[in-house]
Amino acid sequence: MLDLGGVEARRRRRRVRAFEAAVFVPVLLALALLATLFFDVITDSFSWQVIAPHNSGRSFAFAEGFAFHRTWENVVRLELLAQGRTPEEVDALLADPEARRLFAARNRVELMPWVDGLPLRWLVTSSRDDHVADLPLFEGVGRRRELLASAEPGQVVLLNAWLDWSFFLKNASRSPAMAGLLPALVGSLMLIALVILLAVPLGVGTAVYLEEYAGDTPFSRLVELNLSNLAGVPSVVYGILGLSVFVRLLGLGPVILAGALTLTLLVVPVVVVAAREAIRSVPDSLRQAAYGLGATRSQVVFRVVLPGAVSGITTGVILAVARALGETAPLLVIGAAAFVPRPPAGPLSPFTAIPIQVYNWVSENDVEFTHVASAAIVVLLLVLGVLYSLAFYLRRRYESRW
Amino acid sequence: MTDTAGIPAETVRTAPVPPEESALVITGLSLWYGGYQAIHDVSLTVPRNQVTALIGASGSGKSTLLRSINRMNDLVEGVRVEGSVTYDGVELYGPDVDPVEVRRRIGMVFQKPNPFPKSIYENVAFGPRLMGFRGDMDALVERALREAALWDEVEDKLRSSGLGLSGGQQQRLCIARALASDPSVILMDEPTSALDPIATDRIERLIDDLKRDYTVLIVTHNMQQAGRVSDRTAFMHLGRLVEEGPTDLIFTNPKHELTERYVSGRFG
Amino acid sequence: MRALLLACAALSVLTTFGVVAALVGETAAFFADPAVTFGEFFTSTRWTPLFADKSFGILPLLSGTFLVTAIALAVGVPLGLASAVYLSEFAPPGRRRRVTGLLELLAGVPTVVLGYFALLFVTPLLQRVIPGLNLFNALSAGLVMGFMILPTVSSISTDAMQAVPSSLRQAAYGLGATKVQLIFRVVLPAALSGIVASVVLAMSRAVGETMIVSLAAGQRPLFTFDARETIATMTSFIVQAATGDQPAGSLASRSLYAVAATLFAITLLLNLASQLVVRRYRERYE
Repeated sequence: MLDLGGVEARRRRRRVRAFEAAVFVPVLLALALLATLFFDVITDSFSWQVIAPHNSGRSFAFAEGFAFHRTWENVVRLELLAQGRTPEEVDALLADPEARRLFAARNRVELMPWVDGLPLRWLVTSSRDDHVADLPLFEGVGRRRELLASAEPGQVVLLNAWLDWSFFLKNASRSPAMAGLLPALVGSLMLIALVILLAVPLGVGTAVYLEEYAGDTPFSRLVELNLSNLAGVPSVVYGILGLSVFVRLLGLGPVILAGALTLTLLVVPVVVVAAREAIRSVPDSLRQAAYGLGATRSQVVFRVVLPGAVSGITTGVILAVARALGETAPLLVIGAAAFVPRPPAGPLSPFTAIPIQVYNWVSENDVEFTHVASAAIVVLLLVLGVLYSLAFYLRRRYESRW
Repeated sequence: MTDTAGIPAETVRTAPVPPEESALVITGLSLWYGGYQAIHDVSLTVPRNQVTALIGASGSGKSTLLRSINRMNDLVEGVRVEGSVTYDGVELYGPDVDPVEVRRRIGMVFQKPNPFPKSIYENVAFGPRLMGFRGDMDALVERALREAALWDEVEDKLRSSGLGLSGGQQQRLCIARALASDPSVILMDEPTSALDPIATDRIERLIDDLKRDYTVLIVTHNMQQAGRVSDRTAFMHLGRLVEEGPTDLIFTNPKHELTERYVSGRFG
Repeated sequence: MRALLLACAALSVLTTFGVVAALVGETAAFFADPAVTFGEFFTSTRWTPLFADKSFGILPLLSGTFLVTAIALAVGVPLGLASAVYLSEFAPPGRRRRVTGLLELLAGVPTVVLGYFALLFVTPLLQRVIPGLNLFNALSAGLVMGFMILPTVSSISTDAMQAVPSSLRQAAYGLGATKVQLIFRVVLPAALSGIVASVVLAMSRAVGETMIVSLAAGQRPLFTFDARETIATMTSFIVQAATGDQPAGSLASRSLYAVAATLFAITLLLNLASQLVVRRYRERYE
């Protein structure tokens, strides 16, 4: 009598299930890492601080009665009055553009989540504040009372949200409290704009050439070989190329244009791959129909193939942009400046970019600059998240169009 | 021919196989793919050491029936089976039965030859290795290849890739691979439909030799092949077993009208 | 029109030419300098081109790169391969799509962010369990880099495994293989060339990675295989030298190019090797 079931079989089934669980673990680990990263970055963009303020140290309510709207001017007025100036002095100061500029350069009006036990307060911080202590988010939450009790007279205990509206408007600064993302934002935007302008025609042109015009010639094989090799070249080496050719040989210097050209070269292979796939997915029957109606090759390409490949190409461009946004090494090698006080004026200005700022701020080895870096990373990840969502959405929407 | 009018309520049987001669007994087998019923209440006794052919038009359920025997259908999502298949007195669909064990005792050869991308030796040794065979593997491989009438052609290149063989040789390799596990029943699902006539002939002669030691159940859409190769034939139509009996009687004197129309080529 | 498009395509050839030209010129000048010898470059374990007392042995940079890469592979390859097995053989189609998407997101995290994570989260964590772990060390960088290459290994290996035809799986099941036996005896061997290619590619990415090592591993050239040490890699040196104030044409500046040339040669070899593996051992199932 055969034994077809029983102990051995059950043991086997258990082993298969155990194996399945075992190979699922790495997936969980990878997802855990992602989740931990996001969580860590977000919580690190907040910190509890004890400061000895240079200004009055008084905080002002978010709203008074029904007057929700606190403008910069209102808060500054309240602060100057709290410092002991007379209303006339305050008016005079605020009326003088030079004095305003000076005040704005040295002070920040910020809405803090929590100041001295009170939620949502306006506070005017100065670049000359003395930062006594800085604590991570969760540690500080537990030690709130202790901090308040042990704070010396004149010191202010607050919860600083490093990522707030003013973060986007501030320039770089030697002091972390004053540091903002504006130059980097503008720099990144200008870079990306130029990269799109250059990489899309070049990438799509190459793809169109390879798919629609070229036969199996030595030249096209050379191009394919180069493309696949270039995809594997480290981004630093692209930076070296940019340094030699664009910065030095062409004499552009370490400016936005040089950075954009370098990033374009880096990103073109990505666009080419996506564009080729998109072009290939257009059914041949459409081309045949167009030729049959007497279209020239150019007309077939530009009126039939490319319109059909648009969604795939767009997805590829979005992914290329996401890649370019996050690239640091090539820009560092080119000479993206370590300290750029204000946003770049044009393509021929020295520049910085969001990832460069993150690198600089992390390298400062200062716990407060770490918070600033975290805030910048949150911005960067949000932008990338939007881009990837868009790319995924496009990909799914147009996946099975034909 | 898609209406079920004309299919007998009971299978027409000639010279039914006595139980002591049976290798497989299929009783009241029905199978559903989701909501679609592919096999309706089939009962068939497969005699030991004989070749039984399953014939019928496309969609008649013959391949599905074959795969139900070694529970390959279990691998398909949403399959439901009712009825019984007994092998050597053991119910293959019993509650405690592991399909893996069933498949190790019943061999299968597929329509398109599918040797693994490994050496000829490793292809044949695959089954025994699965079961932890510790004996003389060389001897086992040689036995299986001889039984499959392939040994003479490959004995000096056992370590070369199985994919380097011709189509007919690959199929004989697959047969050797099935034989290596020492099953007593071999299921063949249209084994020569992808092969040229010469290779087909060699395999048909091989099947004739195999029945000495094995029970063979072969699905074929080629009636001439069924006539050449099998001892008994079962004719299926739209998932039902219409008629079964000794091959020569089925072909020369079919009892049911549908059978007569199929074997004379009027449909299928 | 055709000519215009041809010019676009020619750009890729020009780029390669440009990279090689940029590297070769300065590297030749570097080795032409009397202070530098081939022997010292490849065998000396002191790399101090930016100090007053210059020494040009590249071994510390190579050992640093190797150390971090080895750790990254040790983490990324097994995890990536296991993920691929899960995605290819066990995951239902909906979950496969979602997990693949999340892995793509992981691959899309900028390396500067990963470097931040390694320095500020992983290192403090590890310092609690590993005595003698420096603030800047190879281990944290290697671990995080392992997760960076995991999606590469996973996606290419998954494709390779999915490409194994179902006829082979049917044959194996027909012979009574369990799922685990099927995976180890049929699927993985058949997909091997793709898997190896993915590993070589991952290695190439790890070797060329810059930001994680610059931020977390340090910039101190040291010839060691102790993962707790602060080290420098070829890539972190390039960044360090480029962001310093070395006048163009100086020996120190040229050393940058020599290191970049070495890096380029290594990654080029790895990429070619990966393509060769795929081409030569691509399984033919027919």
